[in-house]
Amino acid sequence: MRDWKTVVRVHLTPLPLDAARANDIVDELAQHVAQHHADLVASGMDDDAALATALKPLRDNARVAAEIARADRPRPVTPAPPPSEKAGVIRDAIRDARYAVRLLTRAPGFATVAIVTLAVGIGANTAIFSVLNAVLLRPLPYADPARLVMIGELGSHGAGNVGYTTFLDWRDRSHGFEDMALVRSWTATLVTTGEPERVPAMRVSSNFFRLLGVRPALGRDFRPDEDTPAGWRVIILSDHLWRRRFGADPNVVGRVVTMNDRHYTIVGVMPASFEPLISEHFYQRAEMWSLVGYDTTLPFACRSCQHLKAIGRLKAGVPMETARADIDAVQSALRAAHPTDYSRSTMTLVPLQDELTGKVKPALTVLMGAVAFVLLIACANVANLLLARMAQRERDLALRTALGASRARIVRQLLVESALLGLAGGAAGLLLSAWSVPLLATLAPTTMSRLAGAHVDARVVVFSIAIALATALLFGLLPALRASRIDLQATLHADVRKSSQAATSPARRLLVAADVALAVVLLAGAGLMIKSVGRLLGVDPGFNPDGVLTMQVSFVGAAYAQNEQVVTKTDQMLAKLRELPGVEAVAAASQIPLGGNGDCWGFHIQGRPAPTPADDSCPERYGVTPDYFRVMQIPLKSGRLFSDADRANSDAVLIVGERTARTLWPNDDAIGQHVRIGDHANGPWRTIVGVVGNVRHEELAAVPSMQMYTPQSQITDSYLTVVIRGSADPSRLANEARRAIWSVASDVPVYEVAPLPDLVAKSVAPRRFMMVLLELFGAVALLMTAVGLYGVISYSVVERTRELGIRAALGASRGDIVRLVVGSGLTIVALGLAIGVVVAAAATRYLQGSLYAVSPTDPTTFAAVVCVLFAVAALAQSVPVARAMRVDPVVALRQD
Amino acid sequence: MSDRDLRKGSAELLILALLEERDRHGYEIAKLIDQRSDGAISFHVASLYPTLYRLERRGLIAGKWVERSGSRRRRFYRLTAAGQKVLDAERRSWRAFFNALNRVARIRHA
Repeated sequence: MRDWKTVVRVHLTPLPLDAARANDIVDELAQHVAQHHADLVASGMDDDAALATALKPLRDNARVAAEIARADRPRPVTPAPPPSEKAGVIRDAIRDARYAVRLLTRAPGFATVAIVTLAVGIGANTAIFSVLNAVLLRPLPYADPARLVMIGELGSHGAGNVGYTTFLDWRDRSHGFEDMALVRSWTATLVTTGEPERVPAMRVSSNFFRLLGVRPALGRDFRPDEDTPAGWRVIILSDHLWRRRFGADPNVVGRVVTMNDRHYTIVGVMPASFEPLISEHFYQRAEMWSLVGYDTTLPFACRSCQHLKAIGRLKAGVPMETARADIDAVQSALRAAHPTDYSRSTMTLVPLQDELTGKVKPALTVLMGAVAFVLLIACANVANLLLARMAQRERDLALRTALGASRARIVRQLLVESALLGLAGGAAGLLLSAWSVPLLATLAPTTMSRLAGAHVDARVVVFSIAIALATALLFGLLPALRASRIDLQATLHADVRKSSQAATSPARRLLVAADVALAVVLLAGAGLMIKSVGRLLGVDPGFNPDGVLTMQVSFVGAAYAQNEQVVTKTDQMLAKLRELPGVEAVAAASQIPLGGNGDCWGFHIQGRPAPTPADDSCPERYGVTPDYFRVMQIPLKSGRLFSDADRANSDAVLIVGERTARTLWPNDDAIGQHVRIGDHANGPWRTIVGVVGNVRHEELAAVPSMQMYTPQSQITDSYLTVVIRGSADPSRLANEARRAIWSVASDVPVYEVAPLPDLVAKSVAPRRFMMVLLELFGAVALLMTAVGLYGVISYSVVERTRELGIRAALGASRGDIVRLVVGSGLTIVALGLAIGVVVAAAATRYLQGSLYAVSPTDPTTFAAVVCVLFAVAALAQSVPVARAMRVDPVVALRQD
Repeated sequence: MSDRDLRKGSAELLILALLEERDRHGYEIAKLIDQRSDGAISFHVASLYPTLYRLERRGLIAGKWVERSGSRRRRFYRLTAAGQKVLDAERRSWRAFFNALNRVARIRHA
């Protein structure tokens, strides 16, 4: 029996309707034709003639299909002239959108893959943009924040510090500023109830909060008359501290608390919304503020006593450059009047926003670039999917054109479909980013302090909608333009099964090549970061962190007013700690490596005066107890280490780092030299007794600067870090150590207890953050590229089945077939790799700041990336290649 | 009324009228029109089905697949209430039209 449905299907142009409906219609027509045929045969006609007669009406098949389609559904193309142009456009757009939704729901596989791809691309962009927005773009939460600047001499890290007297001159003599305020860091040991606690705090001038444009939520602001050496013991609490230590007591204002054995009156509480960003280490959020309380008679208020930071508010309308020139002129006059107090540096103004975010800006810019690449890959893949789909839809589109749709109309229809996909992907991406931003916040280094406030706000939503639409335009334009060029005749008359040229057009191959190229760039970035972090962790820091526990203590208050009291207590404390089981050595230091910046002291060599003492070199000074070098395993290069014999009343001694010795005495022995540190005119001449190895103090990546060590017994620091080298896991010692310290000094706060290896890891955190994210984006890029490549190669194998069959029939071996298919894939990959390597070599430059000991064009990394991509490409091709090898010539040839 | 509209209108009238009697499938409709008009009016696949689908879309007729044991499923069409109203109106207007033609051109009304 004849399969009438197939007969009709063969004769009828495929109907531009959904599959189920088209099938019904074919079924119905088949019944009609069959019965007609049967009747004709019954009336005596022979079979062939009957068949011809029954099928005759279908001869003009394209027109018939068009008629049927037009009758079967609302007319899509020739609407009545719109009442107004605008209303028509909107109505058309709505109809296009509805139509697009229907089409997409009918192809759920295609829609899912496209939307997921876009969601990953847009989600990654939105997530990184949320971070960028929170950390860099979101204005500081102060009044008119653009006018806030840090003021100082140009130092290695932006604006330098200032002395009190100098500050007064700046404030009084400059004209470009509405006001200037002072800040300095402060640590106060708060004793209310329970354990003594060290609170990160700041001392500020009385106008500080007014300068920022913020006001306490409870109580009052500081008064100018309180900002004196006698009157400054008033404090304002942060909302957090108020809740944590004072139970959010509404009557806290007026209460007197004891800190460092002195009484302070609480005068106010800041609102919870106040972001206390400004402090010496701005990421360490201040929880309490008191007044600077200086006057010019104080010894540490001198012009060169640079330990304060100045913040200014520019007058409205005064440009940064004018204000800088103004303050520079003031400083020049001061330098002329007090030549020994100032260096020759020029003045600088740093926008407060930059001061707080400058360090993370390059890293975030690189990440933003990386996610843009991920999005481009996603675009290329979706464009590829659309092109493949176009091949199936050409007839539909040709039919619509035949029914009177203009080309512009078709292009618009396709662009609406793309926009819909883009927006769906964007919505999914937004969800993805809303979920991943908190994850990023936990991963981020402390330098991105404002990341805690990252969330999906209006700006982020607008951003993601904008990139969703831009993306849609990008991936939709190519297929849409191709659609507008469809050859009507050829398409309508073409055989159903013959695949169109759009399937593996050069455009699709180029898109995959672009995928490969973009993946190369991302993977190169990831590879370079991995190598950097590896090298960084492999660097010799100059000390051995393994097995060392660190904890901070502070000896403040009346009981420690005298240096001897601190020294005695320190010795007792260390002795007690030394008795703990498993402890090998114990010491204390004013600063430990990777625990924050060191403090540099002027270094005045006997017999070698500089033109002005301010121009003398300034090595970092670390106060240490004798066993410090043993605990940290810092090697002695020459001379001797400190011993218990170096006391306050014995000869003043000094140990210098190798770099200090080499720089200052390139041809001489540093040992035995006499140096005065800090004050060039007073104090003892200190004898250098030893030279020790350089230590990477600031961060692992930083070349060690000049360093020197003084015995704690001779220059006594009250804030100390205790370092304990134990045989066991250092963190196990923490509780016993804390108890041991309190058994000697119950009033000493112990805080920031951390194994030294943790501090090392923390110092690598910003780079690790970059590395992890670039790895992630690289992996996504690799996956998307593999999928794109797989799609194109398998499509071409299907398309070429017949050709491959003929080749096989003519005697081509399996090897030949494999070579043929793999060859076509390899061309794409090779092209992509070539372009990618060139682009990557140019792009990785921007990573330079984050790299360590790796060139941005590191050949090994690039080679590895090329190998990885090649391997993935081979894998992606293996499935279609296997399919090509199984092509049966007989089946392939019968296919047409 | 153009010739094309006239024919289209008459085709719809014929189909609706045939469905008024009982539910029928497409081939039956085509065959009946051919027989009853003695071949003067004939439909084939390419003209019948678009008309059926158009009528169906306008809600004048409703198609339904009916499976009979032993034979393949067929699509039967029935006249809807809306179709009945349109048919009645068409009949009135055609009747008026024929009466007018008859009065003027003396065409005998069948």
